[in-house]
Parts: sequence; structure tokens; C-alpha cells
Amino acid sequence: MASFERLISLTVGALAFLLILTASTPSIAQQDQVNPTASSVREQQLLREFDRIQGRVSIPDQRSSVLVQPAGREWREFRTVALRWVGGIAILGMLAVLLIFYLTRGMVRLESGRSGRTIVRFTTFERFVHWMTATCFIVLAISGLNITFGRPLLLPLIGFEAFSEWSQWAKYAHNYLSFPFTIGVVLIFLMWLAGNIPNKVDVDWLKRGGGIIGHDQPPAYRFNAGQKAIYWIVVIGGGLVAASGYQLMFPFYLSGIEGMQLAQVVHSVVAVLFIAAMLAHIYIGTIGMEGAFEAMGSGTVDMNWAKEHHSLWLEEENARTGANDARRQPAATPAE
Amino acid sequence: MARMKFLCDADRCIECNACVTACKNEHEVPWGINRRRVVTINDGKPGERSVTMACMHCTDAPCAAVCPVNCFYTTADGVVLHSKDLCIGCGYCFYACPFGAPQYPKIGNFGSRGKMDKCTYCAGGPEADGSKEEYEKYGANRLAEGKLPLCAEMCSTKSLLAGDGEVIAQIYKERVMKRGYGSGAWGWKTAYRETIES
Amino acid sequence: MLIKRTERSEAASRGSVAATLSGQVGGLDRRAFLRRSGLAGGALAALGTLPIGGVRKADAAVAGPLSAGATVRKNVCTHCAVGCTVTAEVLNGVWIGQEPSWDSPINRGSHCAKGASVRELVHSERRLRYPMKFSGGQWSRVSWDTAIDEIGDKLMQVREKSGPDSVYWLGSAKMTNEGAYLFRKLGAFWGTNNTDHQARICHSTTVTGVANTWGYGAMTNSFNDIRNSKTLIIWGGNPAEAHPVSLQHLLEGKELNRANFIVVDPRLTRTAAHATEYVRLRPGTDIPVLYGMMWHVLKNGWEDREFIRQRVYGFDDLRKEVEKWTPDEVERVSGVPPAQLERVAKMFATEKPSTLIWCMGQTQHTVGTANVRTSCIALLLTGNVGKPGTGANIFRGHDNVQGATDVGLDIVTLPFYYGLAEGAWKHWARVWEVDYDYLASRFSDKKQMETPGIPLTRWFDATILPRTDVAQQDNIKAVFVQGHASNSITRIPESLKGLKALELLVVADPHPTTWTSLSVEAGRKDGLYLLPIATQFECKGSRVASNRSLQWGEQIVKPVFECKDDLELIYLMAKKFGFADKMFKNIKVENNLPEAEDVLREMNRGSWSTGYCGQSPERLKAHMKNQAKFDLVTMRAPKDDPEVGGDYYGLPWPCWGTPEIKHPGSALLYNTNLHVMDGGGTFRPRFGLEREEKLPDGTTRKVSLLAEGSYSKGSAIQDGYPEFTLAVLKKLGWDKELTEAEMATITRVNPANPDTVSWSLDLSGGIQRVALMHGCVPYGNGKARMNAFGLPDPIPVHREPIYTPRVELVAKYPTLPDAKQFRVPNIGFSVQKAAVDKGIAKQFPLILSSGRLVEYEGGGEETRTNPWLAELQQDMFIEINPSDAADRGIKDGGWVWVSGAENNSRARMKALVTERVGKGVAWMPFHFGGWFGGNDLRKNYPAGTDPIVLGESANTITTYGYDPATGMQEPKVTLCQIVAA
Repeated sequence: MASFERLISLTVGALAFLLILTASTPSIAQQDQVNPTASSVREQQLLREFDRIQGRVSIPDQRSSVLVQPAGREWREFRTVALRWVGGIAILGMLAVLLIFYLTRGMVRLESGRSGRTIVRFTTFERFVHWMTATCFIVLAISGLNITFGRPLLLPLIGFEAFSEWSQWAKYAHNYLSFPFTIGVVLIFLMWLAGNIPNKVDVDWLKRGGGIIGHDQPPAYRFNAGQKAIYWIVVIGGGLVAASGYQLMFPFYLSGIEGMQLAQVVHSVVAVLFIAAMLAHIYIGTIGMEGAFEAMGSGTVDMNWAKEHHSLWLEEENARTGANDARRQPAATPAE
Repeated sequence: MARMKFLCDADRCIECNACVTACKNEHEVPWGINRRRVVTINDGKPGERSVTMACMHCTDAPCAAVCPVNCFYTTADGVVLHSKDLCIGCGYCFYACPFGAPQYPKIGNFGSRGKMDKCTYCAGGPEADGSKEEYEKYGANRLAEGKLPLCAEMCSTKSLLAGDGEVIAQIYKERVMKRGYGSGAWGWKTAYRETIES
Repeated sequence: MLIKRTERSEAASRGSVAATLSGQVGGLDRRAFLRRSGLAGGALAALGTLPIGGVRKADAAVAGPLSAGATVRKNVCTHCAVGCTVTAEVLNGVWIGQEPSWDSPINRGSHCAKGASVRELVHSERRLRYPMKFSGGQWSRVSWDTAIDEIGDKLMQVREKSGPDSVYWLGSAKMTNEGAYLFRKLGAFWGTNNTDHQARICHSTTVTGVANTWGYGAMTNSFNDIRNSKTLIIWGGNPAEAHPVSLQHLLEGKELNRANFIVVDPRLTRTAAHATEYVRLRPGTDIPVLYGMMWHVLKNGWEDREFIRQRVYGFDDLRKEVEKWTPDEVERVSGVPPAQLERVAKMFATEKPSTLIWCMGQTQHTVGTANVRTSCIALLLTGNVGKPGTGANIFRGHDNVQGATDVGLDIVTLPFYYGLAEGAWKHWARVWEVDYDYLASRFSDKKQMETPGIPLTRWFDATILPRTDVAQQDNIKAVFVQGHASNSITRIPESLKGLKALELLVVADPHPTTWTSLSVEAGRKDGLYLLPIATQFECKGSRVASNRSLQWGEQIVKPVFECKDDLELIYLMAKKFGFADKMFKNIKVENNLPEAEDVLREMNRGSWSTGYCGQSPERLKAHMKNQAKFDLVTMRAPKDDPEVGGDYYGLPWPCWGTPEIKHPGSALLYNTNLHVMDGGGTFRPRFGLEREEKLPDGTTRKVSLLAEGSYSKGSAIQDGYPEFTLAVLKKLGWDKELTEAEMATITRVNPANPDTVSWSLDLSGGIQRVALMHGCVPYGNGKARMNAFGLPDPIPVHREPIYTPRVELVAKYPTLPDAKQFRVPNIGFSVQKAAVDKGIAKQFPLILSSGRLVEYEGGGEETRTNPWLAELQQDMFIEINPSDAADRGIKDGGWVWVSGAENNSRARMKALVTERVGKGVAWMPFHFGGWFGGNDLRKNYPAGTDPIVLGESANTITTYGYDPATGMQEPKVTLCQIVAA
């Protein structure tokens, strides 16, 4: 991530440059000789001293006051080289890990089989929020990956015009779906915050491999440490991609060129890592674990599933609602 | 084949903005799009220098490298052009460009950008030379008529030079030798990875 | 302020040209894109045909340039007086593009921001389209016939009631020579000398000061000739912004000669950025610094004694004044350090040839005439006149301000500096073939006919002062403005009173201008007409560049909408007044449009005094056609060229004799190293042949004002000589060389006493011809005057500005006493005294100066309407030094209120905090208008004619002060205060 560090130093350098510009103003009133030709600024000297050359323009577009910013070349290196490596390794690596895991461990089965009784795990609203966010995420991910990987991968297949057309729509989708996605992330944050504060149980859970590695069934409350990690990845990662994304979508409102470059770096790096993490999440939620999909599918899970994966949560639920077992009965009716 | 470049002799530039309005005039560039601009460094102080800047038509152009849809191409004359049919207005070329050349018409809501517009070295775009379509999208194609960019042709003090890189570098070198000073071929190191010894 | 332009899409703005070319407004819309895209048509099917590895240029046959079939027409840029040729491509009557004018020896293809965007002036959607009338506070469209009828009736009514002098005819430096000449002629036929134009507020002091020094008030050399200079001093000018293309010559000269490039200015301007030495002085102290330089010259014996002996009068008087300006006193008054002063003096006097270049930094002062006089004296002292690379290179502002001045659109003279005396009127009566008595009958009396009119700077004083204070039959009651800004005139708050008081205001212009917006602001409800006038690109005619070259402009396109050529409007007014037949007796008129060529021919017939007699339309057109043949430095064509052989480009005046004798014009004035038929010359003896001087012992002696031992190359008379008359020819025995026809004409000029007929009155050109054949200059061979007796200060004297921050200097250097000048009182002395007494300088501690921006010109309405230019300067601003800004809590780019020393004036604008201005000095550009006292006046313009950018006018803040010799205003030094808004 040399490029990344370089960008940060660029930002600092630019600020320092502005400071120096305002501070180093020789007073000419008292001088006996003023020779503007001899004292002319020189490009190479400025470039040695500063990371970019900036001046005054009379047009309102202050971006145009930056005359030369060689940092553009650094950013280009990041985008065309570093990012492709980071993204490639993260995503392909994760896929590879999951594949190997699936081949070696297979689907995590319900050890005790299905009880036939179910318990509500996620309400309709919770599921709506999840799926709204998830759908947006998938579109955002694909359209986003297209920006970085489409040119080497997809363009040669479908040709310039089709690729541009697709990319144009992908860009629109990326821009517009960012709003429901952001709302989803905010709601997820609020909705599930209570269950996602790390605690001692998580330490134990992690020590015991979460029941995925090996065949242990460590106790967990409503969310186990793995789910908490996903939660925090979504909240923090989502927050970062949203913040940097909006900066990219409303260019130059908040910062100059260096800030835009930084925003793109943050956005793209966080996004590829985010995507990798979500691949794992999708894996466990679907083919990775028997009975897990139902939680977000129908919203109810088998009692045995709950017992095996979220024993403490089940105890809590039973304690809370035990007085009125009848109320739970209809929901406990087997689906078929 | 010539390798077309721009060179601004800052010791001649007086920020008269002829290059800017010549460009507007030749290509009917709309309000808010500044294919060329003049930046003044050390404004108001001894040592003040103005430099006119547009697309430098870089060697190994960063804009072309970062474009997600690969809409740039380099002509046989070394001019970096792009296709507005392919451009999706993502803005990445602006982040990569060392010279702030790409411009975007503001269309619609929340800062969404239209198709990128930039200096074409008065060489139009992918459409047939001198066609109406080319003019409408990119402006005039002077190069095809054997003329150089109008900004340089109309420069009030012959500060902005356009033409084959070796020829204009030679002109600049001779000037510096004759007058004894020169603040450098602004942007050349960044754009072409070379400087003109003076 | 900027108006929103978001509705202007890329496609729409290209419409004008695209529509012309194809009959439809083009542009790529979303639908077209979809239709063409691979997705809509099956992307995979098209795969095989798509290029891989990059976009490829379409293979379709080359469509050829869009401008194919276009006609190329040449005109001259209508902005500054550098005189850049504009090359236009016209297709189907539409101006579709500009090309570089490589052939012009003046601009060699170049333009500045304004010149490169002139096409938009013609195309502008915001031009006046048809005549408009403001009555009952409402705008309405009227026909030309109605407008001319109503305006004419009202003017004649004013004339009936208040006399002809009550109508003020304000013409323009934007007109061609032909237009300006006819406008002056219209004034003469109407019966008034109240005819003026922008030269008043630009270089009137130069014209007066320089002409009083050595004969003619114009740039002595040329832009191109500055390439020969070893030392250039630009004193009170910023040509990098005001005359950008001139910098091509200046900078190349600087580089090739490794010349000293010295800029003396209160601001470190864009020009100063390229200087080898920058001298900052306090605004208004030019004379002390110039004298300080001369002090060093005299102390070190650097003066050119032989030159002074032969060609200069009044050196001893000068010496006495110079001795007062010791380096210490100069520093005390101006702030210029002694060491720098000495260095600059040495370079100027010893590294020759040296030239002094100036502009409005010297002229726009109450001491403007004295300033330019002092500059001329510095040149005379060091022998820097009349040779290549030397001279007073005065950069004129408007494209034809030199020409309009020459053709007499002025209050003090008839065309070509003949003055207003009876002899002058009789000369023009002969040229015009009209009875002198008829002309005299048009005036209220003979005295008014021979009295200079009111300067345009004082039109509102002449409107609102008590009637007894205005030395004519009545106050000004009606103003007819054809091409002049109102915001270029100082004291705007007081001009509002004038705008309200007028009975009639006619604005004939391509744009409504601030005359309109300020009139409405002043509360005017009726009696305001707007007449749409064509730009010069829609007309043909000659214009004079700063270097005195005449250039003929072709009509590029026909006037758009209902706009009319200046010449046509003048004809229509004359016709309405009933004297068109007399006024246009020798001029062909077709469809109410006088033919420009015929007007020029009439000028040729009467302009002997200034040498405008040799520039026939045919010769001028040949020059435009053969531009490429003229040398870059000498501006001369090879002698063997069949069409323009030996001519200097544009036949810079004086171009003596009739066109037939083929005088080449005079590229350099007063150059004794050339034969007069090669453009050589001498100083003009205009002020008598000798002068009686008082000696210290009380006796007197007579001193000759003719040159001593100096003469132009090949002169038959090898000494000074007076101007040529028939009597002089007879004395020399040369009268026999006159042809019979010439002799007959001379006799017709003055049948009673033909001997008195001079070179300037002889309509045959015979006297000139004979003098020239003997290598003599028709006007004579005299001395230039350091002592210009007759002017208010014969030897220039430093006088503090009316509003000065250095009140302690006023007692020693007061302004001149109050006096009546040009029909109105000049109470500068009282105003200065009151300002000192009231402590104005404490209340308003900052010096306020003003000047130009490269993007705009003059009052700026035309250029602020041009989007290509307006985009580059969207806000009115004031430059303020960082330390003054810090004291006031003012931030760069923040809004401020600027308040002025008179009328509680105030203006709101943005601050530009910069070291460009020194501490204690603020500076504003003078091109903005359309705001007043913080109010946006956009609503005051007729719908759709408001300029894109509006802003406060600098002249809202400027104050009283008039040059006694010319009525020049004082926009360069006043006082102000600035506070954060």
C-alpha cells in the first residue's frame, strides 16, 4: 500500500504548501531592487519543494487552480496495479478458502436433526432490511467490480459499445442504489446493535472454533462472535464505503483533488475486502450450514438449530416467553 | 510522424487568456467547461509566472490507463483523444490527470457528470474527420486541415507553442539561450518524462 | 454577479453554428446513443466487427473541413488600439469561425482574450435587436421611423428653446474614422462644439501635452519599432492586460536585445511580472520621480547636449525645476528609493535607444497633461526621440481612439486639429462645399462657434449646475450617445442627478449600457430611446491603430436584427434635421447608408494638416491585401512591390500629399535620418518662430524656435525653417514648380491674399508636393518645447492629487486655483482645500486607483455580455494589500463595502487580498457596471439585454478632479475606506 501512504503524505504536503505560500511573502516595499525576471519561479524547483503546483485562477472552479499534480500518476499506479492485486487476492482468495472448506468440511449439519418445532429468529421488518441491503450490496458489488475489473475481463468479451452501455447503466445503478444500501446499513446498525456488543461468551466461542471448524457446539446468545464480526464489518465497512462513495458521487464539494484520490482509494480497498467478507457470509448463510438460511428466509429456525448454534439465546427466549407458550404455538407448527 | 506536444514558455505568458477564448470560440465550448485555463503562480509577487494549461497529451497517458471503459486512444501524431460514445462520466480520468484537463458538463442531480470533455489538440474525435458528428461532440478538427491548435496559433506573445515536440523544444531552447533565462518547460517532466535543458 | 446558466446545455450552445451548417440543432442525446449502442442491436452479433485494443478512428471518407466553401474576410479587432487583424470565415452569411491573421505585421496571428472571442459580439443573443422606447416606466418596441421622428422632433424642440449647445453629441472611439468624422460633421451642421468621445477620458492629456511639446499628439514610433529598444520604461501602463498583443513585440525585443525592461507603477502588474526592474511609486507622483531621474541625468552629464542644442527649446527653464527634486525629496514624496532611482536614470540615459511607454497611469490625472509633458521632456533630455527604438510610445486604448481624435470628434477642434478659429471653419466650409455663413448660422453665435465645448467628463455638471455657471445659452438638456459607456465617467452618484434632469437621452449602441440601467435607477420614466447599432464587424471602414497606421476593415456580415451602421444613423438624423443634402453633398448615399469610401475620400481632401491626405481607400485596401509583404520591424514593404512598394504598413500618418505622389507614410515621427519621402520628419514649429525671453538682468533676448543645424535627410534647406506657404515658396523661388491647376486652387482658397495660403489650407496639395520634392517637411522644422508656454504649467510642476493621503504636502504642492474651463467651473482647488480642512484622509485612509482587466474593455457592457469572456471574470473586486486587509479583518474572496470620499458613496464587491498593491493602496477594475450602492440593477435593462456579469462600477467611488488643459477626470487617485461586509 505504498500508494496509499503516498496519498496521505500528498495531502499533508499540499496543506504545507498552502501554508508556505501564505507565509513566504517577501515584502518588496523596502527593497532597493526588484527584478521580477530574475526572481521568477521555476517549475522543477517548485516540484522539488512541493507535491503539486498551485496558483490563482479567475474562474470559480478552484480545482483548476492546481497546475500540476504528479500525484495523479501515483493514483494511477494504485488503480491499475495495486488495487487489482488487492481485490484479486481478497476475492479469489476468499473463494478459494471457501471452496477448500466446503470440500473438506462440507455443509455443517444439524447434529440432532430437525425437531419440527420452530422459533422466530428475525421479524419481517428485520428480514426486509437485510434483503434490501443485501440486494443493493450485490448490485453495488458487481457494478463496482466492473469499474476495476470490467476492462480487462468483460470488455474483451462483449466489445466496446456494449461494455460502455452496460457500464453506464451499472454506474447509474451504483449511484442510485447507494441510497437504499446506506439506509439499510444504518438500520442494521440500530436494529441489531444490542445483540452485537462483544462479550466473554464470544471469546469462548472463538476458542472453540465456532462449531464450524470441528464439531463442537459452543454456546452463543442471539449473535455469535462470527455473526458479530459480520455485523461490524457491515457497519464499519458500509459506513466507510458510503462516506467515501458519497464523496465520489458529489465530487469536489468537500475536498480537492487529493481528497478525491484518497476517497477512491478508501472506497475501493474497503469495498473489495467487504465483498470478500460477504462471500463468506453468503457461504455460511446458504450452503455452509444447514438451517441457517431459514433464519433470513422464512424468519423462523428449527428449535434444534437454535439449541445447537444459539443455546443461550434460546434459553433467553424461552425464559421471556415461557409464560405464554400458547402464543408461540402457531409459529411452532411445522411448515409442511 | 510528428509527436504533437504543447509547451508554455512562462516567461512569455501574460495571462491574457487568448488561448482560453480561442478554444471556446473554435469549439463553441459551453459555459463551465474549461478545456484550457491559465494559472498564475505567486500571484502579485515578484517572480509571478502564469502558465496556460490544458491536456498535455501525455506519453503513456494516465487518463487512458485508469479509464474503466478504455475510451481513450492515441493518434499517430501522439494526440490523446477519447470517445464520448464510450465515456460513462465516471470522473476517474480527472483524478489521474496531473494537469486537471478533463472537464465534465454537470447534468442532472447530485453532481452527476456527463460525458468527459477535454482538449482535443484541435483534432476532433473518432468520427470521420471534419464530419458534423465529430464537430458536435468534440469541436473542430484543425489538425486534419493541416492547422495547429487555435490556442497556440492565437497566443498573444507566442508563449504557447504547439507542434512536434522536438521542434518546439528547439524553439524554446533557442529562446532561453538568447535571453539567458527560462523557468522551465512546465509540465513536460510529468507529461513526457523529459525536461528541456536550459 | 453571475446569472445562472445551467439551462444552457452543450448541444444548445453549439446550436448556432451547427444549425447553420446542417439545418438542425445537433448534439448527442440519450436516445441516439441507445439506438447506436451494441446492446440495443445485439451486442454479440457485432462482436466480430469491434476493434480490440483501443478505439479506432472511423474509416469513413474524410468529410472535409466544415468551413469548406466559406469566404474569408478581414476586419480589425474592436478592442484596444494595437490594431490586430481579425480574419473571419463566413458561410451563408453567418460568421462561423476565426482564423489567425498570420499576415498582419502587427499581430502575426495573435490575439488576446478579447480579440480571440470577437465573433461572439456579433452573434450575441443579448444584443439590442430593435429600437426601444422607455415611457411611463415601461419599455416598448418602436420602429426606426418612429424613433427617428420622435427623437428628431424632441431635439429640434430643445434647440428651439435652449439653443443648439443644449444637445450633447457623445460619439465614440469605436466608430470607424468615417463614422467619427461624420458624427463631428453632424455636430458642426447642428451648430455645436459639444461633440466628444472617449479620448477625453483616455489620452486627451497625451494629445494636448505631446502636441504642445513637438507638434503632434500621438505615438511617435510603433509597437514593432520597440523591438529596437535597449531600454524600455513602461510608466503608468499595464499593456500585458490592456494591449496584450503589443507584449509580443516588447518581450521579443527584451529577449533579443537583452534590453532593460523597467516598469514604473503603483501595482506590480502582469506587465511588471516580466520586468527586469520594478519601481513602485505612490499614485500621483509621476512628475517627482521623472524629475528625480532627470536630476541624476543632469548631475552626471548624461543629457544629449547636441540634440538639445539643435532641436529643443527651454532647457534652462527645465534645469531650474529639476534642481528642486533631490533624491531625498523624491523619496519623501513618492517613496522611490534613491539607489533605484539612480540606477533607472542611468539605464534610461545611457543604454540607448530608450523608449518611454505610457498609458492611463499617466494621463488620467488632474496633472495628466503635465505628466505626459514631463515624460516627453525626459525623452528630449536624453535625445531619445526621432530614432528607431526611442520615442514616446503612447498606447491608445480603444481601437479607433487615435482616429476618432484625428477626425476631430472633439470639443476643441474641427477635423484634423485645425482648431475652431474662423480660418478653420472656412477651410472645412471649402472642403464640404458649403457656405461658411450657413455653418455660422447653425450656431447660437460666432463666439460659441469658436469656443471649445464641454468635456464629456462634465456633461452632468453642465446639466445640473445653475444655468449662470454654464457658459452657453442654457444647460445641457439632451444627450445623444452613440457608443460610449456612462460608467467610465467619474462621480457616478452625481451623474444620476444629470440622468434624471435630462429631457431626452438617446443611447445608440449594440447594448443598452449603463446609461440605461443608471437612468432607470435615477428615477427616469420617459424620454429614453435605445437604438440598436451594428458592431464594426458588420460595417466597413478605416480605423487607426495606436501607431497611426490606418487599416481598412471589410464588412464581415450584414448588420443583424434591425441594427444599423453608425453611418446610416448619422445620415437619418441629418435627414430628419433637413441638412442631409448639404452634409452629404459629395458622399454617395445608398438606402440611407453613406458609402464609407466616399467619406474617406472627403477626409483625404481636407486633412492636409495631419497627413491623412494620402491614404485613399484604394491604397488602404491594397495594404490589407498585401499584409504579408511588410517587414516585422520597419513595417515597410519592399520598394519593388507593384501595389504597396516602399509603403509603411497602414500608411501611418502623416502620409503627405495626394495619394498619387505615393508618400509611404511615417512609421517614426520626427526622424531626421530619413528623407521626408521615406517617412522622415522634423519637430513641428507650431508656436511661433521666435520667443522673447527675460534675462536675469532685466533685459530681453529673442530666441529662435526653429531647429538649429538639424534637418531631415536630403533637405534642400539645411537648417530650421517655418511652415510652407505660397509666400515661402516664392521666397525660395520654388513657386514656379506649382502646376497651373494647383495655383488656381491656391488662389481660390484665398483670392484676396493667396500668399498666406499654407500647406495645410492648400486643397490642391501643391505646396506640400513642392516642399516634399525638395526634401522639406511641409509643416516646417522647429524645436520641441521643454517650456510649453501657453499651458497652465509651461514647465510641469508636481501637484498633489485633489484627494491625497499626504495632506502635509498640499501646502507645498497645491493643485491649480479654481478657474472656469471649457464653459464650466473647475473648483479643484476648493475641493482639495476642503478635503484637507475636513480631515478626509483620516476618514478614508486608503488610496484608490483603477485600471484594466484583460478580459474586459472600457465600460465593459459589450465584453461582460460575451460568455467566453464573462466566464473568466465573474465578480467585481477590489485589490487590497494583506496588511491593510488584516487590519480590517478582510479575507481574500470575502465581500467588502468600499466607501468613497464624496456623496456618501459606497459599493459592495469582493476583496482580492494581494501584494500586487502596496500598503495603503487599493485598486479596482473599471469595467463593471449594473450595480449601484449594493443594489443589483439587472431589472433596469430591457428583458434579455442584460449583460451576463454585472457589478459595482469603480466610478461610483471616484471623485472630483479635472485636468485644467483638457478636462480629463481623475480616476487614478482618490481616497476610500474598505470594511468587511
